[in-house]
Amino acid sequence: MVIAPGRRLEWQSVVVRGIVAETFRVKSLLLHAPRWRGHLPGQHVDIRLTAEDGYQAQRSYSIASPPEDEVLSLTVEKVDNGEVSPYLVEDVRAGDQFELRGPIGGYFVWTVATPDPLLLIAGGSGIAPLMAMLRHRARRKVRNPALLLYSSRSLEDVIYREELDAMARTDPDLRVVHTLTRKQPEGWIGYRRRIDRELLAEASFPPEQRPRIFVCGPTSLVEAASRVLVDLGHAPLTIKTERFGPSGWTHDSQ
Amino acid sequence: MTHNDSDLVLDGNAAAGLLQEIFVLEITTAQIQCEACGSTQAVGSLRLYAAPMAAVLRCSHCDASLVRAVRTPHGRWIEMTGARRLRF
Amino acid sequence: MTETPISRGFRSRRREQTAKDRLPPGQYVTTDFPILSAGPTPQTKLEDWTLALQLGGSLLGKWRWDEFETLPQTTVTRDIHCVTKWSKLDTSWQGVTFDDLLEAVGLADPPEAYIMAHCDGGYTTNVPVEDLIDGKGMVVTRYAGLPIPPAHGGPARLLVPHLYFWKSAKWVRRLRFMEQDERGFWESLGYHNYGDPWKEQRYDGD
Repeated sequence: MVIAPGRRLEWQSVVVRGIVAETFRVKSLLLHAPRWRGHLPGQHVDIRLTAEDGYQAQRSYSIASPPEDEVLSLTVEKVDNGEVSPYLVEDVRAGDQFELRGPIGGYFVWTVATPDPLLLIAGGSGIAPLMAMLRHRARRKVRNPALLLYSSRSLEDVIYREELDAMARTDPDLRVVHTLTRKQPEGWIGYRRRIDRELLAEASFPPEQRPRIFVCGPTSLVEAASRVLVDLGHAPLTIKTERFGPSGWTHDSQ
Repeated sequence: MTHNDSDLVLDGNAAAGLLQEIFVLEITTAQIQCEACGSTQAVGSLRLYAAPMAAVLRCSHCDASLVRAVRTPHGRWIEMTGARRLRF
Repeated sequence: MTETPISRGFRSRRREQTAKDRLPPGQYVTTDFPILSAGPTPQTKLEDWTLALQLGGSLLGKWRWDEFETLPQTTVTRDIHCVTKWSKLDTSWQGVTFDDLLEAVGLADPPEAYIMAHCDGGYTTNVPVEDLIDGKGMVVTRYAGLPIPPAHGGPARLLVPHLYFWKSAKWVRRLRFMEQDERGFWESLGYHNYGDPWKEQRYDGD
């Protein structure tokens, strides 16, 4: 499936309509983008902030909302010493404005038009584009087998925790498997280590089922998971990756 | 010192914002053939280096540079001598 | 035409850290040491490493690692400025000055006016010889007293701190004298040919 932008990507003004505190360092910004033309799950946007003195900063964020939602949602993790994310997570209020352009990136996209089993692997804030895919799948009430393997530092760091729990409860064809790598709650019987070969072999779809695979998160997680998936026998062409760069940085590279 | 240096690699998809300022058609799903090793892959799956100075996209099989793109206040540059061809 | 919306309360946080008279325009100070690379990190072993000084087709000098380590060593403390706007103050480097390289090959004067630095991984950058002599340029092997890690350009990198840091080429292996200036990797892709941070010469046309 090919999406031709058709015309050039233009910057448009957007307004913050609401803010959701996902975890103590992660917020979702709900945006009103009057000139938005729609998007596909997995795509991202560029946002641009302009200070009063004219200084500008630009970053990319994955769209967390499904195309079925009118409100555009971006999920932002605060990066220590970052230039943009602390502003978005700590300072932004409803009514604030900035510029946005998108949707961008037709490569890292999944829609319900693809009926194969869906394997999603997320690390930290890498869950955002994969959440757009799961929300889209839920809204369209499609029941292809789907599995989310989600690595977080601790239970408090799991983004969309309640929503993912609810999705898994109400959809027998969706499995959500968490691994908590740094701190686990008392009585935790789930995984407690970084995604490795054994974990993937146990928890994910076998290659014979030919799942479509999307991996998103810190570069180190994405590379480790991709290597293991290929080792286990998954065809490289079935694996799509979106590296966020060094852990804790998402796209905040400036 | 900062970071494990392999963490600096991103995916071609992350360069889409810059590339779409230049290409009319959707670039990340375009198939690009490496001049050095002959392999073909989607632009979105290339390895992306050099952010934020530029987008340097390298073949994920042989690391040859396929696309280099820069946005400057005076214009945009793109060099693609490492790519044999692109198919949209 | 709609105006660019101002994002209420947004400002460049990095500008709050100042050392104003030491900072070229548009820069901010970092205590971190960010890495930017145009390609994968070469992993050259010391036993395979050589540095060559070249003029046309001939080799003026070539040093293996153990030989290079016996050349006169100089330690400097300098501020470095990256074109992506971060600056790092008081960085300490040790290596061999360009002047001492010339002396080691028996040259009282540089034979040409320009140098192209060639590096493992294919990176190149051009520097006027005028900006390398008199202590302005070095080939360095230690940062903060320790061997430079591969990610930061080790085993050896060029150091030309009065120019933007892309000129301080990582993984340098060959310095080639040129009669005419030629543009290197970034210089041929929209970046300024000279790169003086104090004149904010980031891009071609600045």
